[in-house]
Amino acid sequence: MKNYDDLIDQLATDLTPTPRIPNINAVAAGWLLLSAIYVIVMIHIFGPIRDNALTQLSTQPRFLIETLTGLLAIVLMGYAAFKAAVPGALNARLAKIATGLMALWLLSYVVGLFYPALEPSMLGKRDHCFTETFIYALPPKIAAFLLVRRMYPLNPLRTALTLGLAAGMLPALYMQIACMYSPSHILLFHILPGFLVAFLGLALAASWLRWGPSSAKAQDWAG
Amino acid sequence: MAQTSGRNYEADEARWSSLMIAAQGGCEADYRCLLGELSDVITRYLRSRIGSHHFIEDCVQETLIAIHLARHTYDPGRNFRPWLFAIVRHKAIDALRKQKSLQNTATRHQILEEMRSTSENLDNDILSGRLINSLTTPYREAITLTKLIGLSTAEAAEHLAISESAVKVRVHRAMGSLKNMMEADPL
Repeated sequence: MKNYDDLIDQLATDLTPTPRIPNINAVAAGWLLLSAIYVIVMIHIFGPIRDNALTQLSTQPRFLIETLTGLLAIVLMGYAAFKAAVPGALNARLAKIATGLMALWLLSYVVGLFYPALEPSMLGKRDHCFTETFIYALPPKIAAFLLVRRMYPLNPLRTALTLGLAAGMLPALYMQIACMYSPSHILLFHILPGFLVAFLGLALAASWLRWGPSSAKAQDWAG
Repeated sequence: MAQTSGRNYEADEARWSSLMIAAQGGCEADYRCLLGELSDVITRYLRSRIGSHHFIEDCVQETLIAIHLARHTYDPGRNFRPWLFAIVRHKAIDALRKQKSLQNTATRHQILEEMRSTSENLDNDILSGRLINSLTTPYREAITLTKLIGLSTAEAAEHLAISESAVKVRVHRAMGSLKNMMEADPL
């Protein structure tokens, strides 16, 4: 059996105390809560929400189910993304359920093109909903990225994509209440910018992989 | 016997956890002890599942470095083994994926000649990995030739009498199967 004493010696010499990362569930919950509050506040500051949206939530069961599915998908996606940043913390079942729910939620708008949950209407239309969704998603995405940088995601690209999806879909979901309801409009002006944020996350993760501090340190030790 | 194994399992779990907590606090001696024990455990784990190969040593080294970089993410409230073996599995699959064909043509020819003459040594060394052995024959052949012996895709294709793209597909699927089996494998 090979002797790894030299490497162990290098790693252990001058070992400094390392602060442990906080509980990952608490981090995920805190991020989700603060991001949701931020998105709701920003959307309310820059324009009124659709007049009849809350009434529709209470009187149209399919719209309510659609919204709750989206909310649950985003929450589980956020949890899965943060747990993926800690080795061994992510349960494969959680990842599958989160992905399945997200797919189901997005699929509901594709189905809605033919059988919409609500009568499509221009009521409550916001002029810059695409830009709003994109911009509102960026701070949560950046905050999540900075939090995850302190951890050790084994698959940074997948973690970045799921974090980006969670961050991007938060304003996309609330836009269904704040902006006009029409599945084609939702897919193009609310969901698409959410996806763009997710793919922006991939680019960030790729740069992190290439130039991140962990990879540089690993290369030094590997000689 | 089962009780002894259970006791060892729990004792190792508790000891590694406490050594890692001490390491997180900056204790060099405990950290050396932990990494020393883990290097043996990881080597045995990889040899029993993948077999004895030249890249196992590199894989153990990379895993030790990864453990070092990720040590702040170990949560004493969780078990140590899932944290450790998530890193080990990731590094093992990563090492297999990165395996390139051997540059030394003489070595490759020697290996091929050995394959033609006798499979005894190969059975002992290359095919000693339990998980590699449980792959279906086409996948096992493809991954053994390209990743473990070090043949190029073209050479493996010629040896198996299939196209290069078929070899690539088999290797890709074999890696996926191997990853799934490692994840399902009890720690």
